[in-house]
Amino acid sequence: MRVFTLFNLLVAALSMVLIPITAVANEVDGGYRLGTGYSVGETGLRVGGYASTQINVPRSAPWSFEVSDLSLFLTWDNGSRLHFFSELEAGELLSAGSHQSLGVQNAQFDFERFYLDSLVNNNLTVRLGKFLTPVGEWNLIHAAPLVWTTFRPVATQNLFSTHASGLMLHGSVNVVNRQFEYSVYGDVTDNIDPHRSKNSFDNALGAHLRYFLNDTLQIGASAADFVLHDLQSTRYYLAGLDVAWSYKKFELSSELVYRTSDHANIPSTGQGFVQSVAPISQHWFIVGRYEFFEQIQNKTGQVGLLGLAYRPLPPIIWKLDYQLGSHNETLAPDGFSASFAILF
Amino acid sequence: MNMCIAYALLVTILSAWFPVGAVEPIAVITAVSNPLNTLSFDALGLIYLRKSQMDMEGNRWVPLNLPVNDPLRRSFSLALFSMLPEEQDDYWNIQYFNGISPPKVMASEEAILRFVASTPGSIGYVGKQKVDGRVKMLLLITSPPPK
Repeated sequence: MRVFTLFNLLVAALSMVLIPITAVANEVDGGYRLGTGYSVGETGLRVGGYASTQINVPRSAPWSFEVSDLSLFLTWDNGSRLHFFSELEAGELLSAGSHQSLGVQNAQFDFERFYLDSLVNNNLTVRLGKFLTPVGEWNLIHAAPLVWTTFRPVATQNLFSTHASGLMLHGSVNVVNRQFEYSVYGDVTDNIDPHRSKNSFDNALGAHLRYFLNDTLQIGASAADFVLHDLQSTRYYLAGLDVAWSYKKFELSSELVYRTSDHANIPSTGQGFVQSVAPISQHWFIVGRYEFFEQIQNKTGQVGLLGLAYRPLPPIIWKLDYQLGSHNETLAPDGFSASFAILF
Repeated sequence: MNMCIAYALLVTILSAWFPVGAVEPIAVITAVSNPLNTLSFDALGLIYLRKSQMDMEGNRWVPLNLPVNDPLRRSFSLALFSMLPEEQDDYWNIQYFNGISPPKVMASEEAILRFVASTPGSIGYVGKQKVDGRVKMLLLITSPPPK
């Protein structure tokens, strides 16, 4: 009897130890994994982010070093129709240069994104909060670990606010057996922007459409009507086109934006780029880009870029870029840039 | 470049040597209580890309995967996307940036069966031989469809 009781106790003790292990073992992606963040049990919370650091060596200006981004993602998705996402970003957290010792004097904090998604049905989601402005593709995936160059094309940020605060309706529908994605947004107030961005919209109404022609090719179109906060009540109208093709590890992409206004002294402005990426081995890639940008107070700038990228793991990328151009001193100066970025 | 060519050759040879459909038919399963009885291949792809988020009942889809190195996972990925799981890393990096997680990864086919049986909206896949009364089969993948 005593042996039986001891055996029962042993079995009970083993069960208490082993059952939780078995339960955990059923799902293998709980906890932390590089590039997907930390999942907090069954709460639906996920914490993660990305970091990037870069050294810039312009041809006719002092060199500089900065921890350019440290972004923290907080996601909540417990399987209901509501989904929360926020990105708190610390920019230029650490910086140094030829005229400045290493320090935190340039550090700035900002809520890059802060929104609640409500899933209405399979084709429609309502988003309320601060989000990336859907103009082209680059602005929506601009994080350093996701793009191939340290230098960002001028056309992806110069003519509009990269963020909007307000309401967005977005989703996708099936058109001729292919996916058609849409985003329609309105920006009417800064009250839901936890930290007003630079060059933000005063008010805006816009849309972005994207159609997947096949598994490798997608085309998009953008339109927006807006007033920028820092410029006196000038109303701008923007139209854009974007195309992206990818096959295996080859990529070709292009974005064009054209902005006009109702102010006689502000000329219409067009900007754009075309970029190609080709693998040279399993982890090494070569990048080429041409961009042009009309400027209000200068002649049209043009820049050519040659880059090398090393991606040892999907969430990690090292980059080296060299760009050279004309009339590009203000927006995309000649020089080298090297960077490291990681999704964590 | 040599590595890239060697890799492409290896994938081609292995694909020819072990045709996906010839290994074992893959059964796509959901809970018995789900009113859906069939599912198209394209709809399944959208669910596993997390682009289709709700089932007919308004429940959120909970797609399940096996671990990356599991042969059934690799066959499923090739059949559905013509890609191995690791070739989708760029896509999932972008989704992560947008706050969307990839399908849950379960340790085994039995774990998928148990989870699907008890969770409305969940969808998974197992070898056809493993399907039992706890779940409902929506689709049988016997060979990769032409892309």
